Amino acid sequence: MTGQVPPIYQVGLPTGLRLLGVEYERVPWISITCMVKRGAETDPAGRAGVADWTAEFLTLGTAKRSQRQLADDVESLGAVLSARAEYDATYISLEGLAEDFPVLMATLAEVVQTPGFPEQEFPLLLERRRAELTQLLDDPREVATRRFRRLFFGEAPYGHAVRGELESLDTLNLADLTSHYRREFASGVTSLVVVGMVPGNRVEEEVRRYWEAWQGGGPASSAYTTAPPRLAAPGLYLLDRPELTQSEIRLGHLGLPRHHPDFFPLRLANYILGEGGFSSRLMARIRSDLGYTYGIRSRFHFRRAPGPFTITTFTPAENTAEVVREIKGVVRDVRDNGVTAQELADAQSYYVGHFPQGLETARTIAQQVLAIDLYDLGLDYLLHYCEKLQAVTLEAARQAAHTHLHPEALVTLVVGPAHKCLKGLEDLGAVTILEGN
Amino acid sequence: MTLPAALDPSTWNPALNIVSYRLDNGLTLMVLPDQSVPVVSLQMHYHVGSRNELPGITGISHLFEHLMFRGTEELGPEEFARLLQAKGGEINAFTTKDHTSYFENLPSEHLELALRLEADRLSHLKLDDENFQTEREVVISERKLRSVDSPFGLVEEQLYSTAFTQHPYSWPVIGWDQDLRRMTLTDCLAYYRTYYHPGNLTVVIAGDVVPESARDLVDRYFGNLSSPGSPVFPKITEPPQRGERRAVFKKVSQVETLVAGFHTVGLDHPDIYPLTLLSVILSVGKASRLYQEFVRSGRVADLEAYLAPPPWSSQDPDLFVFRAVAAPGTDLARLEVDVWDSLERLRKDGVEKSELARAKKILKAQTIQGLAKNFFRGLLVGLFHMKTGDAQRVNHILDFYEAVTQDDLVRVARQYLREDNRTVVTLKPVSAIESEALGPLA
Repeated sequence: MTGQVPPIYQVGLPTGLRLLGVEYERVPWISITCMVKRGAETDPAGRAGVADWTAEFLTLGTAKRSQRQLADDVESLGAVLSARAEYDATYISLEGLAEDFPVLMATLAEVVQTPGFPEQEFPLLLERRRAELTQLLDDPREVATRRFRRLFFGEAPYGHAVRGELESLDTLNLADLTSHYRREFASGVTSLVVVGMVPGNRVEEEVRRYWEAWQGGGPASSAYTTAPPRLAAPGLYLLDRPELTQSEIRLGHLGLPRHHPDFFPLRLANYILGEGGFSSRLMARIRSDLGYTYGIRSRFHFRRAPGPFTITTFTPAENTAEVVREIKGVVRDVRDNGVTAQELADAQSYYVGHFPQGLETARTIAQQVLAIDLYDLGLDYLLHYCEKLQAVTLEAARQAAHTHLHPEALVTLVVGPAHKCLKGLEDLGAVTILEGN
Repeated sequence: MTLPAALDPSTWNPALNIVSYRLDNGLTLMVLPDQSVPVVSLQMHYHVGSRNELPGITGISHLFEHLMFRGTEELGPEEFARLLQAKGGEINAFTTKDHTSYFENLPSEHLELALRLEADRLSHLKLDDENFQTEREVVISERKLRSVDSPFGLVEEQLYSTAFTQHPYSWPVIGWDQDLRRMTLTDCLAYYRTYYHPGNLTVVIAGDVVPESARDLVDRYFGNLSSPGSPVFPKITEPPQRGERRAVFKKVSQVETLVAGFHTVGLDHPDIYPLTLLSVILSVGKASRLYQEFVRSGRVADLEAYLAPPPWSSQDPDLFVFRAVAAPGTDLARLEVDVWDSLERLRKDGVEKSELARAKKILKAQTIQGLAKNFFRGLLVGLFHMKTGDAQRVNHILDFYEAVTQDDLVRVARQYLREDNRTVVTLKPVSAIESEALGPLA
């Protein structure tokens, strides 16, 4: 497998900005991403969305070009300019045909370094977000995911939606975005990741041409790395949506940070629990045996600070309590009795066998390089990735499941019709009824 | 500067090498060799979708797709997926109006295992009542997810059932709720015998494989299977629409929405290319017409003009769909007038040369980007073959787009995007109490 791993080249500029690149031969494509290693976790309290709105605002005009002109120029190359914040980082990306590499690199530099922050665009952005967030209220899956996040983390940095919250939209203003930009967009916390059909020396040449002098602002906020002091109390919560025919169900407790030494054993244990599709215990029980749902998944959100561990599913409302009970039973079983040798071997061979598929496209390679840089995994991470997975013993996987799964600490949120599911839920324990959206 | 050949875009050849075989039992095999990454995409395309269904058993194609994972004489439920996932495989399937496709993207060393298991479930599927009942419940849950509780699922179903009066595109791929509940195991057995055999199957293998070896493997596992020949299904043509149709759908919603559809053409018709370019000009990207006129200002939460591009376009004539989600405070009736006015300007004045050039470049870039994936390459070839009988079109797709002129765009806009050919469904928000009074959603 090692022979398939593309080498990552790295160049450090005196300003602290880093270039990481991979030469990619499969199709004449190039993916260029500017990653600022601060994201939605830096949004001020009550001002959800500042990091993400700032990212989008960079695409709404530069010192030289209007929104329309910029969009015309980019799209006339068939390229796609995208900008978004996530927790832990903000990404401004330009992808297009490799033949257009010089102009794409120049354009991305212009967008990041010389945003116009045109005042007239702010009310338009505000109205677009209001429309988008209002529309999301009609999607029960979105409602459940967003409400669970807020319920679980409260005011903590991972507790609000990245794209903003409807309730606090009107508190945001352009000054929030410009001050965020001036503070967080600093060369010392920024990396460029370039994957495409362009030789590394040419990439370096263009990066030096367009980025060497850029220092940006700063000092950037301190990296957020600690678990919040308070979380929601474990238990059952219900948001009544009488018009729904199914219940959306979210369960979760606090997970681990990305740098935790149990990352690999826990990833494997969780594949067996609920991330491995039809190979997972949750899918086998809730879907294949009982036919209660179309899909169920568990996931550890590994971030710089501990992210949540979540289980996501839905079921016809009449089955709600039974599904919650069954899920907890499966989690308890994996926590108490561990996984089998065959399950572990299958999980390991899945990840090892699946690894080459992540090398097919420039975008999937770029995503891996971005994660390597963001979480300081080391430039040789991909070279040793399969070894590390294969080195996990049955005891290590069992221990990880035992240590990091906490069925008694699960916060359970149901978004569904109370008249069909409340009584059954009450048989499981006290239910807190939530108000609002 | 001289570039290494592998990193010189000008030396890249986009043509796919397609090696085709046909077994004696009618099975078609298409191999797309590419040794650059040690993976293959194995795709089993059965030429049956919701267009082959009948009233009363709508949704059977999709339900049957689920049953294909429920085990064989040799394997237990879902063991098919588990065995191949354990080899690193990405396993899934999807059902459309025109076909049902199963795929395994996996390390090339496990291709033989995947073929053996695919042949096993084609010939020895375990169709019993327990599996059927369990999977029916799963599909009913999926229908609630995708249609009943989703923001616009039932509204879009209403659009198709209003626009199509005779053609099977009038019902959703997932089927009507009462048909899913009414269907029997006997229906599924009859369906299996009619449509699941080598004569109705196209196998595509894209990736790290030698064509002759692939043919030998397919022959080893599928060559002995019998086939009654290609199924015969009557060609159903939707009569021309002779006047606008309108419907209202009331449900609990935060936003007012309209979906509208214009009857157009199927994949085999040359107008599919200008129509696809038109959809790009209208709503792909932030320089597009509809984005600039309606989305940028926040007047709509979403506005899309969509026609699935080749080869994802439907086999028979389908709808060119507009979906407009009004922002809070936007008057939907006024919005609709303005959207059709915008379309009228296009029909009257045509498009700018730069708009057409932009659309062509976007489609070229999307195609080239997609060609990085064996899965995408395989789909391009398999879908063109099944729906048009001509897989080689994949190697001319960019030429077809390039040949389109500004006049072509005006012509198709005038021919298809006209009021008499239009069906409009509006979503009217009601309270939960009003919704309940209207009866159950299904």
